Amino acid sequence: MTISLSKRMGALALASAMAVGACSSPAATTTPTAAAVATGPAASAGPTTPQVPSGNVTLAGAGATFPALLYQVWIEKFSTAYPNVAINYVANGSGAGITAITQQTVDFGASDAAMKDTEIAALPAGTKILHVPTALGAVVLIFNVAGVDTKPITKLNLDGPTIAGIFLGKITTWNDPAIAALNPDIAANLPATPIKVIHRADGSGTTNTFTTYLSAVSDDWKNGPGAGKTVNWPTGDGAPGNDGVSGGVKGGDGRIGYVELQYAVISGLSSAAVKNANGKFVQGSSDGVTAAANGALDAFPADFRAAPIINGAGDTTYPIASYTYLLVYQDQTDATKGQALVAYIYWALTDGQKEEKAIGYAPLPDPIQQKALDELHSITTGGAPIWAK
Amino acid sequence: MAAAVAARASISDRLTGVSAGRRRTTVDRTMRTLSFVAALLCVVPLGAVLVFVAAKGLPALSLDLITKGPKALGIGGGAANAVLGTLQMVPIAALLAIPSGVLGAIYVAEFGDRRLARIVRFCADVLVGIPSILIGIFVFTFLVLPFKQFNAFAGSVALAIIMLPVVMRTTEESLHLVPNSLREASLALGVPMWRTVLSVVLRTGLPGILTGSMLAFARAMGETAPLLFTALGSRLINVGNLGQPMDALPLFIYTNAREPIEALNEQAWGAAALLLLVVLFINIAVRARSFGRRIG
Repeated sequence: MTISLSKRMGALALASAMAVGACSSPAATTTPTAAAVATGPAASAGPTTPQVPSGNVTLAGAGATFPALLYQVWIEKFSTAYPNVAINYVANGSGAGITAITQQTVDFGASDAAMKDTEIAALPAGTKILHVPTALGAVVLIFNVAGVDTKPITKLNLDGPTIAGIFLGKITTWNDPAIAALNPDIAANLPATPIKVIHRADGSGTTNTFTTYLSAVSDDWKNGPGAGKTVNWPTGDGAPGNDGVSGGVKGGDGRIGYVELQYAVISGLSSAAVKNANGKFVQGSSDGVTAAANGALDAFPADFRAAPIINGAGDTTYPIASYTYLLVYQDQTDATKGQALVAYIYWALTDGQKEEKAIGYAPLPDPIQQKALDELHSITTGGAPIWAK
Repeated sequence: MAAAVAARASISDRLTGVSAGRRRTTVDRTMRTLSFVAALLCVVPLGAVLVFVAAKGLPALSLDLITKGPKALGIGGGAANAVLGTLQMVPIAALLAIPSGVLGAIYVAEFGDRRLARIVRFCADVLVGIPSILIGIFVFTFLVLPFKQFNAFAGSVALAIIMLPVVMRTTEESLHLVPNSLREASLALGVPMWRTVLSVVLRTGLPGILTGSMLAFARAMGETAPLLFTALGSRLINVGNLGQPMDALPLFIYTNAREPIEALNEQAWGAAALLLLVVLFINIAVRARSFGRRIG
């Protein structure tokens, strides 16, 4: 075992263009030949679908926890269909995903915040990264509070200024007049329990989406903590990952936090209906996110780095939504891995989209899906496209 | 006058030890109780951890846990990736750490000059105290970053660095316990030094060396922090591919205990019980040996 590793490291030193896994594949010898091997079958199979490599390939990915539940389902289905392709996705946060792809310790990164200009500048010289949108999701406010009647409260309306007030630490109890005014039906049942905020501790695309929303609805927030993957929280406790926040909120009475919709569903916590731009209270849902995405199609930028979709127009639009991305290098140093990656992303953008709704994510709107598939054609290895048009 | 009488009385009391004796016994009793409670405080956490993990973890132990890999949303999955990962990374770390630890200790105890021995011993003691996360980051910079790949070998190296000082110090201690008369007897019979070390000193010190190695082994099994930056963890079952990420039991517990999914929490408890059973077994086996030796 040790010997094969050292052999590998030696090979790496000799041919820096060749990435680690290549040596385990008999197909890859030198970069130009490998490119020919990779493009050959794809071309002969026609331009419609990228070819999955025949040898054993392992892809490593890391990043966002927001789409992790979706990715786990995708990877399981894809690996069932193509048992020779193993994909190892470690959900350690969007910030960690961007760091890992920048340091090239993974084959793909994942983030729901598009990379900032400064982060793109930090990439290794001469490389270009592509943002491939894979899904949309809602950021919902989960809460865990028992009413005066000691039963857990399951329905709650909130609007932007109130949410900002809570996360600024200005609204401190559940029976605050601001909350009561939005919930006349249950105003008498709102307890005097102190509100405890649970926020993300790690660099997070979910935080980026949520704080972008807070900045849009509250000047105090905009001029205070502001928007970003990590902000200076005025109040509350930090927890790692979407999973950590939902676990944290579940852990005690009076708590509130923000997570991707599906984390609210699986943790069995109620989420608040949020007032949208049309003044309607909307519960976070796949359809509400689709409505938001459809309303923001024109705003989708040419470089794919879309901002979170905040306060979109429409009665059914959920106001806090975001794309989530896979981050891949445009030029893949390892032909076999590149081929597997393109095949997997193609599968995710087509067959994979059918899985999204059932587990609380929103599929890409058709025009965006088409754009993403077109973008896939631009991925190359050794200068030659992996999936030719 | 009255005051003088009182003073005299108290002096006589003190001399006869009536009230002072009472005070002394109260102080004695209080301090004794306090130190007894403090002694209990050492036992209680162990007991609490055992009971807690046993109560939550033993029901979660199942065949699936050690035969199946993780599944999406935790449905019907297990911790086979972690079990197999620990079974590979820790023995490899032991292979790296134990020979060099033992050899280093032999040098320090038998051959090295006293000043060098003191320096090496001091460094080993400091190394024991270095937070394991730092060792993880250190290994990350020279075994992960240059190869652009999180890998199990880096995880083993990080664990080996943690094991090394433990093995070295315990080995050195047990070599010091070998009576000098044995060495002298052997040398007096004309046996060369290397032979003396190999067949007299090492053989006599062997139980101690084994104890140290086993304890280091158990310690490495439970380490999470050095693996976060090196082996990374993996949802895939990885057997034999040290160039790829690999999971381990502590990493499995770390990732699954914070999931909001009951099934995954249960698997984390199961993995915790498994880890505890193995570590306890090693510890008790080792202590029982050395305990028996002392009595015998």
